[in-house]
Amino acid sequence: MLVIEKLNSGYGKLHVLYDVSLTAKRKEITAVLGPNGAGKTTLLNSIFGLADIYSGSIELDDERLNKMPPHMISRRGVSYVFQLMNIFPNLTVEENLRLVARFSGMNHKDIENSLKEIYDLFPILKERRRQVAGTLSGGERQMLAISIGLIKRPRLLLLDEPTAGLAVRYVDMLIEKILEMKKTMDMIILLVEQNVHKALKIADKVYVLVSGRIIFEGTPSELVNKEDIAKMYLGVG
Amino acid sequence: MFDVIILFITDLLAFFGIYLMLNTALNIERGYAGIPNFGLLFSYAGGAYITGHLTAKIAILLTGAKVEADPITQPVSALMVLNPILASNPLISITLLIIILLIGASFGALLGLIQLGPAIRLREDYLAITLLALGEVMNYIAIAYKPFINGSLGVQVPDVFSWIGSRYRFYLATGIILLIAFILYIYAEFLGRTPLGRAMKAIRENEIAAVSLGKSLTRYRAIAMIIGSAFTGVAGSLWTLYSGAITPTLQRFDWTFLPWLMIFLGGIGNNLGVALGTFIFVLINRLIIFNKHLLAGVLPFDIVWFDYISLGLIMGLILIYRPQGILPEKPYIPKNIRRKIVVSRSQE
Amino acid sequence: MIETLISGITYSSLLSLMALGITLLYRTTKVPNFAHASFVVFGIYTSYTLALLGYNPYLGTLLGFIVSGIIALILFYALLEPLRRRKSSIFILMMATLTYDILMFGIINIYADYLQTTFKIPARNVYLAPQDFTLIGLKGVTIVSTSLLIVLLMLLYILLNRTIIGAALRAVMENPSLAQANGINVSLMLALSWFLAGGLAGVAGALLPMYMMTDPSTGMLLIAPMFCASILGGLEQIYGAPLGGFILGLATTVLVSWLSGVIGYWIMTYSLMVPYITLIVTLIFIPRGVVSIILKR
Repeated sequence: MLVIEKLNSGYGKLHVLYDVSLTAKRKEITAVLGPNGAGKTTLLNSIFGLADIYSGSIELDDERLNKMPPHMISRRGVSYVFQLMNIFPNLTVEENLRLVARFSGMNHKDIENSLKEIYDLFPILKERRRQVAGTLSGGERQMLAISIGLIKRPRLLLLDEPTAGLAVRYVDMLIEKILEMKKTMDMIILLVEQNVHKALKIADKVYVLVSGRIIFEGTPSELVNKEDIAKMYLGVG
Repeated sequence: MFDVIILFITDLLAFFGIYLMLNTALNIERGYAGIPNFGLLFSYAGGAYITGHLTAKIAILLTGAKVEADPITQPVSALMVLNPILASNPLISITLLIIILLIGASFGALLGLIQLGPAIRLREDYLAITLLALGEVMNYIAIAYKPFINGSLGVQVPDVFSWIGSRYRFYLATGIILLIAFILYIYAEFLGRTPLGRAMKAIRENEIAAVSLGKSLTRYRAIAMIIGSAFTGVAGSLWTLYSGAITPTLQRFDWTFLPWLMIFLGGIGNNLGVALGTFIFVLINRLIIFNKHLLAGVLPFDIVWFDYISLGLIMGLILIYRPQGILPEKPYIPKNIRRKIVVSRSQE
Repeated sequence: MIETLISGITYSSLLSLMALGITLLYRTTKVPNFAHASFVVFGIYTSYTLALLGYNPYLGTLLGFIVSGIIALILFYALLEPLRRRKSSIFILMMATLTYDILMFGIINIYADYLQTTFKIPARNVYLAPQDFTLIGLKGVTIVSTSLLIVLLMLLYILLNRTIIGAALRAVMENPSLAQANGINVSLMLALSWFLAGGLAGVAGALLPMYMMTDPSTGMLLIAPMFCASILGGLEQIYGAPLGGFILGLATTVLVSWLSGVIGYWIMTYSLMVPYITLIVTLIFIPRGVVSIILKR
């Protein structure tokens, strides 16, 4: 379980998040929604040790993550899929996956199994496995980025707007895949999304972040009933 | 004692003036246009050496003196004829000075153009490599091509300041250096406020945005480089005229690294900061050099190397703790626009 | 002519070792290292000191690797890493390497002064070729520099492509933030690349006095050829460096010597200009280096 309490964080003098508290459970998708510039990415960065934490705590299964450098947090079983620049463009698809797997301390057998799992989830990547990653299409690239996050079988997967800028057919497909991941893999998924409709369809729990503060917490159906919030900040309802 | 102080101050001000020209030039190139000119030595040495090469030749033309000796390879015998004529003829001396400075400026600008060819289109890092590499070239040319300034022996130049009397010669030279440095400084400050200067800064801030607004990257960089190199060339010319002789030994440390140190110290982009940084640095540096003999016996090595280490350390500290300098750059907003901003704010 | 060719190959090998480090650092830290010449000069004085103490100067290749590697590590940890943490621009990082070069120039000169007073020798003219050995008509420096280049290139290849540390290094070159996000200690990998690059420069420096007359300011002479070789090969590909090293090295030696026979001996004086001209021509016509042309096919 990921538990964030009273988190205040930002970058140097730029204070972005104010008293953010959030809980995300295993085998659930927790979605963080909100307008541009609300601090959604900063929240992920804070969890991953990429932002400055002024006060509050971040705990993953009762272990404090604050003050750890990113590579240590990564070794604790956290994967962060960036929105952009999220693959190694000059390596082949399989090299991308194997490289990351080797650094998570997996043994040979685990790597092969995990690789098979990923190719089952994204068959297109298996087809393209000898292709240089930089030459993939936008949707395929995003699948590879998510796979890089999945290969080490994380306890916590942070997804930063995985569908941003993708063609419609890829958006639907990716959303479905994320739902499939939730069912087949035992992990916490924290999803930051701008595509509110899609996110509400698959999320188990929703947080709305506005100007660095959490203004709503509940299930997707509760959010849809709160018309004021849904309309004003998310453009739905 | 009094004479010593006067000597110290004259020397201090001459160095200040030369460095102010260089640093103002560097500030136009870096602070305005964002060019990482690590090859300042190129146009500076160019200005200094062309002055060494041409001053005597032009003096012969101007005075019409009959000089048998070749002014480059036998400068002493040539100067025996030329210097007395110049000393007794202020008008010719001043004409010579002006001609030489114009040559220094145009040669500097020409060298700026040469540096530009490969430079303007490149990314910052490649640009820095090219300019740094080119900076080392001038000395090789001067050493390899004997007729330029007599190879590694160097050359003496006619004295264009001695007409005021040998006692006041250095005062006059220093005064002229300061005057020219001041004029260049004012010009740079003025340039910063013109649309041209602001366009340069816009490019420095964000190349892509500026280019998309129709500002030509190459054109503005080229202009900044040519103006800067012309300044640098003048500084080189004055250095040779002030010293009375020049050898191909101008160092990257003195004439590229130290100017960078000074503009970092003062504040890149801000002319006043640059002038302040230059003054502080030259004052401390000259005080140390003036009192060098006190340390000479104590240190087991040549004190010159101590300069490299201490100044290297200071630069490292500036880079880490205060890269914006003593007086950081402030955005300049022209008056008519400033009024509009005030109006629009009060309406909110 | 054969003699010039052999001398050219020696020079090219040394140049390749230096350029290799520049390219490696450019790939990992994204900064042109203007202090690289200092690393070379520390190598020169390592083998010179060994020779003064009565040891075989070739031991300097090993010791020089370590000495210059450490000099490079100091630059990384004292200046570049604090600046990187502050998210300083590339320009500030470049300025930092330039500053370190000045600092090291002061230190090496003090060391030369120290050697001069201690051993009563002219420590500013370091030339060890007279002490070199010959084998089957070849000079020792030729044999050692070419074979060391080949061995080190192979080791580098194995490191990068066959080991997990090498994989991490490549990941850092490709995408540092993603590498960090996946458990790679980027700072440590950068430090490793600085140690390796410094070491390679140290090896080249240790061999240099066997090839030519050197002194503390030899570094200034080397800046242009080193960067030229590195850019000529292509800064985007590590193995471009030896390619650039050999093209430039042979051009400055063999080509100039041939030209001096055709045009006149005076051209030799200007052989120092070859790297500058090549550098500028490369930047205008093939800014991504010879490798980019080869890979394009």
